[in-house]
Amino acid sequence: MNIVAGYGRNIAQGFLTPISSMLKNRTLFWMLVKRDILNRTSGTVLGKLWPVVQPGLQILGYWFMFDIVFSMRANRGPEYLEYLLTGMLPWLCIAEVLNRATNMFREFSPLYRRNPFPLELLPLLIMAIPCMVFGTVYFLLVLLLEGPVSALTSLAVMPMLMLWLLPLCLVLPVLGLFIKDFAQVVPFLVMITMFLTPILYFPGMLPDGMQQFIWLNPFSDLLAVVHGIVQGREFSQVNVLRPFVVWLVLLGPAWLVFRRSIPHIREVL
Amino acid sequence: MRETALSIHNVSKFYKVYENELDRVREIISGKPRYQKIEALKPVTLEVGKGEVLGIIGQNGAGKSTLLKVLAKTILPSTGEFTVNGRIAALLELGASFHPEMTGHENIFLSGAIQGLSTAEVESIYEDIVNFAGIGEFIHRPVKTYSSGMFVRLAFSIATQIDPEILIIDEALSVGDGAFSRKSFDRIMDFKAAGKTILFCSHSMYQVEAMCDRVVWLEAGEIRKVGRPVEVITEYSEVIRMSSPREESLGSEVQPEEESSLVEDNKESVEGLPGIEKIEISVDGRIADVHSVVSEESDVAVRVLFDPGKGVPMPTLAVAFSGGDGRIVSSAGSFHDGVSLSLNEEGKGEAVITFPRIGLLRGNYYLDIALLCEKGIHLYEAVRRAAEIHVEQKGLERGVVILPHEWTT
Repeated sequence: MNIVAGYGRNIAQGFLTPISSMLKNRTLFWMLVKRDILNRTSGTVLGKLWPVVQPGLQILGYWFMFDIVFSMRANRGPEYLEYLLTGMLPWLCIAEVLNRATNMFREFSPLYRRNPFPLELLPLLIMAIPCMVFGTVYFLLVLLLEGPVSALTSLAVMPMLMLWLLPLCLVLPVLGLFIKDFAQVVPFLVMITMFLTPILYFPGMLPDGMQQFIWLNPFSDLLAVVHGIVQGREFSQVNVLRPFVVWLVLLGPAWLVFRRSIPHIREVL
Repeated sequence: MRETALSIHNVSKFYKVYENELDRVREIISGKPRYQKIEALKPVTLEVGKGEVLGIIGQNGAGKSTLLKVLAKTILPSTGEFTVNGRIAALLELGASFHPEMTGHENIFLSGAIQGLSTAEVESIYEDIVNFAGIGEFIHRPVKTYSSGMFVRLAFSIATQIDPEILIIDEALSVGDGAFSRKSFDRIMDFKAAGKTILFCSHSMYQVEAMCDRVVWLEAGEIRKVGRPVEVITEYSEVIRMSSPREESLGSEVQPEEESSLVEDNKESVEGLPGIEKIEISVDGRIADVHSVVSEESDVAVRVLFDPGKGVPMPTLAVAFSGGDGRIVSSAGSFHDGVSLSLNEEGKGEAVITFPRIGLLRGNYYLDIALLCEKGIHLYEAVRRAAEIHVEQKGLERGVVILPHEWTT
């Protein structure tokens, strides 16, 4: 009984502590978010447009490769391009967050080395910018492809994905700090996961024997839900339930690891 | 009984070391200890009163910095707890948590936010912070472009302008260049005068004694003695001296294994601040390069010409005789003697101190001269071994000095 209660407590704390810290330290949080945006734009000709232009260019690249070079639309029908683009942009956002999470504690070490800086703020900080930047581009893209109603619902996509990434953003920074190999491995794992997730292909394009295996990957469910709410594609309750259960299973231990590592983090650097 | 500013109860700290980082990760995940302990601080219990200036002394590795880091909440204590009554600002290892990409301007607001100040509160003290730091246009450049001096000046300015009730200073009394050093010293003295609580860790026993109401001596992670500065420092200095004979000098007493920025390397004069210009030593009215004196007969006079500086109160002078082993035999200071220095016709500071019928016994002695602030604490410039004095004696007395004495038979 105690174990269950402890587990539940960890889940609740893992979810509530970073969020309440963000609300409590909102001035600080907003200041760091603004600086993060400035870092990406200062000294550039396009300035504040870059956060929007860059994901836009990435999308253009994918469009060029799959639509023009591979002629996927001609082979797979006109809806392929929309499918690709509405799935690819959320994935780019996920990939950016996961890659940055691995190096998070090193990147922000000047902030907490000599000050009681609230460390639980950092996972949300590295999510905030991609969420805003990709969210904006996504809104514009969906508006263009699917119309205003879908564009409005698309606003929920990035925050939902970020929320789901919370356990990973609590654990990856800890592993990335103490096991340096992680910084090398994570980008590779992110790329492999992209191939194992139906982003570049419809689930139905896989050979029959393999189709069931893609659902072992929770990102497949998440993308099915994304395509469902943005494009009106079919998805089931299982697609929602499975990632939710995975999230619940991961969040408790992830918070425990994060909480236990705090004294180590402050002392190591 | 004054109000408590800081209450420390059984606070200890041990650092965890691992054979490899993987063991650390295994411990974090499993919760099972895999570390070896390095005890930095044994349980410490201490109350610091409001308005008290507490000195913390001890050799390297005694746990001073660990204690201060715990109190500044940059590391967590392993056991025990402490309560802080009011806002605490810390200058640890002469630095602050700045975002390297942010400008000085942004970092002021960032530091304020970390300390829990609202934007409006930071805005109200922003001008004061910038003026005090005195880094000009650099305030609008990223702090990664700052020199270490500018970094420290901004850090010091922020830490002291956010008006903390408790200020922790770890070896920060001589921050930045000469002019800023004087400013920062004044700022700390203002804090003291305003009845703020200060925790002051330094290797300069002279400064600790001059500033602190009480001193804690840490040794191997535990409190060896707490008490009045004079008592604790005397005992501490004696222990240090016994364990490793070394040189001491005016204004600073330095650990054998450490470098000091004060007298160990002569502090150089800075434009605008007082500085020593000329030292002249005469024996029985004769100026000579080699000073041979006769114990209890010769009059030794030291004449110092100095630049009184601009915009600072008239400085004070101190003179010390030390033996060949580096130990100070005797010293005298104008501040402690209640003597005000004055200017000569040329506008230069000039003072002569005479030691009539000098009571030193046979041996070689060295003369150190120091120019200090008006309170005799902050050091502007020191000249070590300004002269060597060779003392001869006619009698057979032993020792280093002759004490005034009389016989009754």
